[in-house]
Amino acid sequence: MKKLIILLFPILICGCSHDMNRREIDEINLVHVIGIDFSDGEYVITALYSGEKGADTEKGSAGQEVTSKGSGATPYAAFQNFRLKDKKTVSIANTGFFLLGEGAAKRGLDICIDFLSRDETVKMESLLFVTKDMDASEFIAQSLEKGQIIHEDMKAVEQKQEELVTRNDNTLVNVLNELENDITIGIIPYLVAEEGSFLLQGYAVFENNILADYLDMETSSGVNFIKDIIRAYPIYLDDNVGLSISYSKSHIKSEIQDNSIRIVIKLDFETMIKEINIREDIFTFEELNRLTDMQNDYIIEIMKKATDYSKNTGRDILQIARLIQNQHTRKWSEYEYNWKDKISEIEYEFNVNSQITKSFILN
Amino acid sequence: MMNRINSAWLKELFNNSGDVIVRPIKINQNGITVHLFCVDGLINQSLFDEAVFRSLKFDPYLSGCMTERAMMDYLLEGGTYHVFTKEEADYQLLLKYVLSGMVALIFDTEEKAIVYDIRMFEKRSIQEPSEENVMKGSKESFIEVMRMNTALIRRRIRSEHLVVETLSAGRISKTDIALIYINGIADSATVNKIRTIINEIDIDNISTPAFIEEFLVENKHSIFPQIMYTQRPDRVAANLSDGRVALVVDGIPFAYLLPCQLPMLMQSPDDYANHFFIGSSLRIIRYMSMIVTLFLPAFYIAATTYQVQMLPVQLALSTQAAKQNVPFSSASEVLGLLISFEILIEAGLRLPKAVGTAMSILGGLVVGQSAVAANLISPAVVVIVALAGISGFIMPNQDLSSGIRLSRFLLTVLAAVAGFFGLAIGLIILITHLCSLNNYGIAYISPFVDVEERNIRDTIFRFPIKYFQKRKSMQSERRDRL
Repeated sequence: MKKLIILLFPILICGCSHDMNRREIDEINLVHVIGIDFSDGEYVITALYSGEKGADTEKGSAGQEVTSKGSGATPYAAFQNFRLKDKKTVSIANTGFFLLGEGAAKRGLDICIDFLSRDETVKMESLLFVTKDMDASEFIAQSLEKGQIIHEDMKAVEQKQEELVTRNDNTLVNVLNELENDITIGIIPYLVAEEGSFLLQGYAVFENNILADYLDMETSSGVNFIKDIIRAYPIYLDDNVGLSISYSKSHIKSEIQDNSIRIVIKLDFETMIKEINIREDIFTFEELNRLTDMQNDYIIEIMKKATDYSKNTGRDILQIARLIQNQHTRKWSEYEYNWKDKISEIEYEFNVNSQITKSFILN
Repeated sequence: MMNRINSAWLKELFNNSGDVIVRPIKINQNGITVHLFCVDGLINQSLFDEAVFRSLKFDPYLSGCMTERAMMDYLLEGGTYHVFTKEEADYQLLLKYVLSGMVALIFDTEEKAIVYDIRMFEKRSIQEPSEENVMKGSKESFIEVMRMNTALIRRRIRSEHLVVETLSAGRISKTDIALIYINGIADSATVNKIRTIINEIDIDNISTPAFIEEFLVENKHSIFPQIMYTQRPDRVAANLSDGRVALVVDGIPFAYLLPCQLPMLMQSPDDYANHFFIGSSLRIIRYMSMIVTLFLPAFYIAATTYQVQMLPVQLALSTQAAKQNVPFSSASEVLGLLISFEILIEAGLRLPKAVGTAMSILGGLVVGQSAVAANLISPAVVVIVALAGISGFIMPNQDLSSGIRLSRFLLTVLAAVAGFFGLAIGLIILITHLCSLNNYGIAYISPFVDVEERNIRDTIFRFPIKYFQKRKSMQSERRDRL
């Protein structure tokens, strides 16, 4: 019996391996970036991967990245079309970035990424970006023309994002989670191509999973402050003193009185002085107090931009609905059906405390 | 005549052996003649002349002895100037003693002999251990002479509880084996079992260590060592104090320790010679190296041929770039290089040291570099195999290192056949096998499977000495001090 098992074991293993897609790594096109667009009535998938010489920069990276396209009635059909047309087996297992063209974003975020959520190889921590005012394919093509190595530039964008915020909310898994909540508004960072690099300027706002608007940089930062994901942020006071936030902690509390919602945003942060362009001594108790008040006002202004946008447009970009749901469960059932109207009635109160911790004076 | 001690019979028995001496010595005028029985080259001749022969010829009292019995009694009571003297009537034991280097005086009428331990043969001096060298600690190692080795142990344990039983195995070789343990600490059932096994060994000759190892291990089909060997007397002493049993075999320059568990094989004397943080760090590195050497080649194959998503993006891209233009599959590359690595090791061992070094350079550097330049293998595979190979040699025990190297092949083949699925199957087989091993009533992977927290204190981490106040419960009968 033992010998029979020993004999059968390799056969079983070999049998199992038949359904395992055995491919050598050099026989696969590892897609770095995928662009999803909608143009001329069909979806277009643009895949970017390394050419024959690989992605080794020492072997000459210029022109190494190549693109391949596929089109179809749905994003999945376009993806299959692209796979069929490509010379090698295609793998999106190592795809780190998905770019959503404006056209596709306006057709619906859920439609664009549904096929990705059902692929067992896709990385759930891949990042999703919207390409502002252009298609992803155009965005990729223009960058390639400028000689950019797109996957490296995208990696740089990811690093920049990590420098500014404590977590990336635009990962595929987060976005898929957000899609399940149809009351709050989804926000995904958008990219702008500029001078041979990519810039993160702010958030693209999705209403009912359809691209509705773009937030400017300060409003987006206000959202980050309120969501408590700020890691670093520069503050410029009257062009004379530059500071940088080294610590930030926010806490949001909701209060309901007489059917009106009041949101108290408490923010504590610390800054370090980075630049002084005046001759007067600012390291006096009074001056530092004055600077502290100024930086508080500066941050309140930024946060107000986010809350004002939410009130003016009725879009819950700050995810207040979730807060009310958790903190006032009974009341939420009353607001649930007219939440969009209720957003504009919300009152915001800011309670900001800060201190300047380090001066970095060497002499 | 066959079962009695007699010079004529001995002469007939060793008629064709030029080195065995059976020579008559006339003692006195009373006509009593004794026969000297010894092996030329194994005895200290000058000591024999001085201590025994001089007495026999010139002692006036002996001249007055009228019978062989009277002469024997006088010699045994101090008539010769030698301490290790005994009477022997068993011809088998007599043969054993003389053939191991002792000298016998044969008394034909009495059919008995007096045996003198005047052994002296060429032996190595005590040197530094070649395999278990330490920075801080004793530099003594065992040699091929059993009694010298037992003396080295006795010098470290000056206790009346230390027992050194001398056993014998091998029908022709009659090799001496010392069974060493501390009475009251070592598990008596284990001691009895080992004694029984040694007494039941039925082979002609114990010429290599494997002859005795295979009798002592319980699971003979396992490639993992279930008996630990050491060149270091201090290590034997430490393990005896822990309740283990040691075996010293004549002609083998190391001692065996039983029962043996896997964590023991991962420990080095250096762990205890250094600060416990450093000792623990070294052990962690060893365990990490074990994982690397076992799984790295298999992981590489599985990740580059089946589940590319397991590799980080940048690593996948650089691996892909390195693999371009190489005509062989990743599995062929890795297996080929692993086999080449084994060939290099084997060739290096067989060749003289100077040639071996040159061959390692030629094989490792020149051929390796040329193979990469010729696109026969990818640089990534060279790095993977080299890393796995070097990690394998970090193991303090070479038997464990060999076992792991062989297991590495199994895992690599399974990964080549079925990717991470195969690797997982291999891992399950490996863990199941290790869990199934039992060594003299103790699980091979204990104390990892032990419920007692204190037993874990000397495994992956080396706790400070103050935590080792009591012995581990596994192998010792007594946990507190004697």
